[in-house]
Amino acid sequence: MSAIDSVTGPFERFAQAHASRMASVVIAAVLAFLWLPIGVLVFMSFADGGVLSFPPEELTLRWYRVFLSNDAALDAIVTTLTISIPATGITVALSTMIAYAVDRYVFTGRNWLQLLSTLPIIVPLVVTGVAMVLFFNGTLGLPDYVSVVIAHVVRTIPFATLVILPTFISFDRGLEEASKDLGADEFETFRQVTLPNVFPGVIAGGLLAFTLSFNEFVYTYFVKGSGDPTLPVYIWNQIRYNVTPEVNVISVVFLAVAVSMVLAAVSLTRVDLIARR
Amino acid sequence: MARSPRSDDERSAESGKRLAADGGSVSDADGRLSDLTSFFRERPRLRTLAIAGPPYGLLVFFFAIPLLAMLVVSFQTDQIGGAWTLGNYVDFLTSETYLTVVWRTFLLSVQVTAIVAGVGYALAYSIVRFSRRTTLLLLLVILPFWTSYIIRMYAWINILQSDGVLDSILNLVGLPALSLLYTETAVLIGFTYVWLPLAVLPFYASLTNLDADLIEASKDLGAGPIRTFLSVTLPMTINGVVTGVVLVFIPTFGSFITPRLLGGTNNVMIGMVIENQFKSAFNWPFGAAIGMVISVVVVALLVLATRLGGGLFGTGGETS
Repeated sequence: MSAIDSVTGPFERFAQAHASRMASVVIAAVLAFLWLPIGVLVFMSFADGGVLSFPPEELTLRWYRVFLSNDAALDAIVTTLTISIPATGITVALSTMIAYAVDRYVFTGRNWLQLLSTLPIIVPLVVTGVAMVLFFNGTLGLPDYVSVVIAHVVRTIPFATLVILPTFISFDRGLEEASKDLGADEFETFRQVTLPNVFPGVIAGGLLAFTLSFNEFVYTYFVKGSGDPTLPVYIWNQIRYNVTPEVNVISVVFLAVAVSMVLAAVSLTRVDLIARR
Repeated sequence: MARSPRSDDERSAESGKRLAADGGSVSDADGRLSDLTSFFRERPRLRTLAIAGPPYGLLVFFFAIPLLAMLVVSFQTDQIGGAWTLGNYVDFLTSETYLTVVWRTFLLSVQVTAIVAGVGYALAYSIVRFSRRTTLLLLLVILPFWTSYIIRMYAWINILQSDGVLDSILNLVGLPALSLLYTETAVLIGFTYVWLPLAVLPFYASLTNLDADLIEASKDLGAGPIRTFLSVTLPMTINGVVTGVVLVFIPTFGSFITPRLLGGTNNVMIGMVIENQFKSAFNWPFGAAIGMVISVVVVALLVLATRLGGGLFGTGGETS
């Protein structure tokens, strides 16, 4: 033991003396690593010369004007919204049902339901994407739009459930008992007691589901046929074949959507709910 | 809706409804819905089915069954509904090119996982043990995760391409350009960037749940910070570590976006081979077979992780 101590001793003393400072360095370095690329992207959206020249000679709003007069990009946003909005609605309803069932009822297959609502996070996107195109398009022959909406629902359910379930679990069931003792039935209790209490969590789940769906690429890429690309698919085509500085502007649109949605979701729940369960 | 024929049981529910109706807030529609709920209350199995059934059905029919369909298709010749064959698997497993790709994908995934686990754990540890503004910091870490994956890759194209941001800065301080885009380093940076926020969450959760008294006890018994970390903190948070590793390794192993955008022709990963089968070669059964190969690797890893005690359901939160 003492032999080990004599080797590790200096390191132990160093760690003891500088732990707090090292922690600050780690935090600062990682935050810089995470945010500098995003900063560069936003900055370059104002660059005059285009993609290849850094630092830019002049700052301009030109690419924002180009973006606003680009029908293909705007159509892609509309296409994305016509998929994301219904998908989010369906996901919120289904995730709330999952949370309610898992929290309240003991039933055969309860563990399977939990597993099924977690697995889409774990199975690689490309595998599920392939499976979906084979089954939706190959076997069922579903229309494009229906396939994509279903794919987005499957993609977003795990994350929405992850946010909504804890709000059900942490909700004080005594309030429901009180409501029922006062003569309200289960539906009324749900509407007037349970729902107002879990509502912030449900909304937060919806906001995150929408963000995820708005950004969804892999499933959409496989399931959706050609024509009417969603915004992420449009960006993918742009990046792979002809990069224009306009892509920087669209990136800023994505960032704005994500940041505002997540901040709204976080203000409704506690941030560590997204981390814990 | 259908009224219950069993009017004896109905009556108590009816009185409950009337009581609530006296409060004056129940409209006709609510009344009908109340009938519906009392109908379900007397049939708990039916009620559970009505609530759990729709999401259950959707996930089984549109998630589980497609995966089974993929398994079936992978045993067919080069088109769906073709004759049964083992050919796809034989072709894949006897091709040196594909096996090299699988091996490279595995090595890259291991490297990415190691980097992300190391950096992510150091970050989570620093936040939990040494910072008071944990909520703000955690928010700053997870926010990038919610932006578009492709956009985050594109940001790195801007930075890493020759004469891009990085090279320009190196040039300004008189260092030679690196031109990192289309190298393995670029792929590693890209993966680290996208998975770091995801991995920090289970690390953070397990570290927060760790009882701080245990650390104090270890120090009182004379252990330094490093020994305390190795003999108390790390073993106590191993569930979070395993969950983080799973959350990083599996999507990396199946990825095609990052290697396609940041990697060169020497960095082909297995996900790209699948994409190719569906987007340009149009041999779906062969693509399905490769999908199954990935699934086998994933399932093997999950079994291993469960043995090691990773919380599959809880994303790491259930350490206590």
